[in-house]
Amino acid sequence: MGSEKYILQTDDLVKRFGGLVAVDHVNLRVKRNTITMLMGPNGAGKSTLVNTCTGVLKPDGGKVIFDGQDITGWPPHEVYRSGFVRTFQIPLPFQFLTVLENVLVALPNSGENPIKAPIRGLWDKEEEENVKRAFEILKMVGLDTHWNWQAFRLGGGQLKMLEVSRALATGAKLIALDEPIGGVDPAYADNILSNIRRLKETLDVSFLLIEHRIDIALPYADYVYVMDRGAVIAEGIPDEIKNNPKVIDVYIGE
Amino acid sequence: MGIEDIFANPLLLNILINFAVGLIVTISLNLEVGFADIPQFGRVLTVLMGALVAGGITGRIVASIYGKPSGVEYANHLINYKLVDELSRLLAQSPTLSITMLVLTLIIAAILGGIVGYLCSYPALRLEEAYLGITLLAFGDVLQLVVWNYDPIAGGTEGVMIPDVFRWIGTGPVRFVGATFIILGIALLVFAYAERIARSPFGRSLKAMRDAPLAAEVYGKDIVALRARVLIIGGALAAMGGALWALYTGSFKAVSYSRLTWTFWPWAYMMLGGTGNNVGMLVGVLVFSIVRTLIYTYKDLIGSVIPINPNWLEYMLVGLVIIAISLFRPQGLLPEKPVFALPRKKIEKIRKAVLGENIEESEAKES
Repeated sequence: MGSEKYILQTDDLVKRFGGLVAVDHVNLRVKRNTITMLMGPNGAGKSTLVNTCTGVLKPDGGKVIFDGQDITGWPPHEVYRSGFVRTFQIPLPFQFLTVLENVLVALPNSGENPIKAPIRGLWDKEEEENVKRAFEILKMVGLDTHWNWQAFRLGGGQLKMLEVSRALATGAKLIALDEPIGGVDPAYADNILSNIRRLKETLDVSFLLIEHRIDIALPYADYVYVMDRGAVIAEGIPDEIKNNPKVIDVYIGE
Repeated sequence: MGIEDIFANPLLLNILINFAVGLIVTISLNLEVGFADIPQFGRVLTVLMGALVAGGITGRIVASIYGKPSGVEYANHLINYKLVDELSRLLAQSPTLSITMLVLTLIIAAILGGIVGYLCSYPALRLEEAYLGITLLAFGDVLQLVVWNYDPIAGGTEGVMIPDVFRWIGTGPVRFVGATFIILGIALLVFAYAERIARSPFGRSLKAMRDAPLAAEVYGKDIVALRARVLIIGGALAAMGGALWALYTGSFKAVSYSRLTWTFWPWAYMMLGGTGNNVGMLVGVLVFSIVRTLIYTYKDLIGSVIPINPNWLEYMLVGLVIIAISLFRPQGLLPEKPVFALPRKKIEKIRKAVLGENIEESEAKES
């Protein structure tokens, strides 16, 4: 493992909701250490595709190969262990935990075992490492000044960054970011995306970026897939996509 | 006046024993409800399980050690009271055996309570909140009805007496003072354990599951295992509470293990104290124990000034507190506060090391 060209690959992936085919035989390829963008109008099936890959939904057909391993239909916590995490379009913070703890939850610690849990000496070294890592991540995304705030006190943009920092903290090989700049003002959105770009360059991590705001996000992507009504209608490097008539059609109409 | 005379005051003793047993049960409830968001409306189930161990198993073990009848006939009320009286006198002469029996009862109660808790995790993973609450509530009532109507386990409607594992301490009030302090000690250990859990990665994972189950799952938490584990721990602790209560009172009767006393009262204690906060449990249980004991002790006096039977005052109080807390202060007297797995100082130190010089600036920005 690790030698494959693609970190994530879906073969003929299908997800149906009753009669609606939300993901229609999608063949996605995410290259290692790239930002691959998945775009398309609302209802195109972008989030469903990610949910199906990460085990939140069970696929009705096809395969999901992650890092050379067939993870089709795995439950989410096992997908996490294989090194694939995702963020949520609508942030799902752990409301009553602090910002620091929100990040710490994403880091494994043997003190999660209820038998070891009451004896701090058995896991405090791990915890110290985790706290250090969490602060590094929080510093990177600019949330370090709020580390002891409970998450419900954060604003919308900050919650988005909290989502990203939880995902980063895990040291995952692939992070699917579900609209990390949705509802964020353009200046801050640029800030978030350039942060992600920088992370990609410094760490061995790949991103699957789900976005429908083509104008802001496109310059940051290495490769783009465009979905509409469950199917991939175009793929290519950003410049090709920008001028692809099918894409223009979907976005601007006839 | 010796120290045992001060504590032998029945008012104080009642408050202390109600506090100690109430604390164990409420702590267990808080682990399941406050930390893991499981609608545990069947707390009485494992409490009864524990009391049943004290009533149906402890006495039988003692009886068989001394070569007395320990089968079905043990629970026969015509035999039981004479037999247990004899066993208690024998136990009083052997502190070692008494303490062994106390510990053994707690261990068996914890194991059986844990098993029952684990069995509850089957519906707990498959039912939505309200349905699960009703299911757990029904479980508790079913066990109570079975034990109440089936004589061979623990005497059915007649109940059973329990050989006294505390009589070696002394006779009369001394026994009750000693027993109360032993149970109080165990309750404080349970409290300390719950606090350690709260300040551990395990407690953090439970709270993460409570706040956002889907996100917890995506970040590697196995919801199935987490729920099962907390139900096992909660069940085991509650069963120990039930067993201690039965051992203290020296008798067991299924009818005293009602959902009112062992489910709804602990809920009221928990809600008053502050769901999710162990220290809140201390406060909630203490306030309730004092008020309940006062009402109970001064029943006659109160009865002469209010137009209703003061027996109902206790029940009304619980209802009133639940309503008042839900309306005016849903977070309880002591709301949940952030707790950290490491000492705060250590975290600050790591923070300084990571952030370096920017620290002054960032401190200033903090609200």
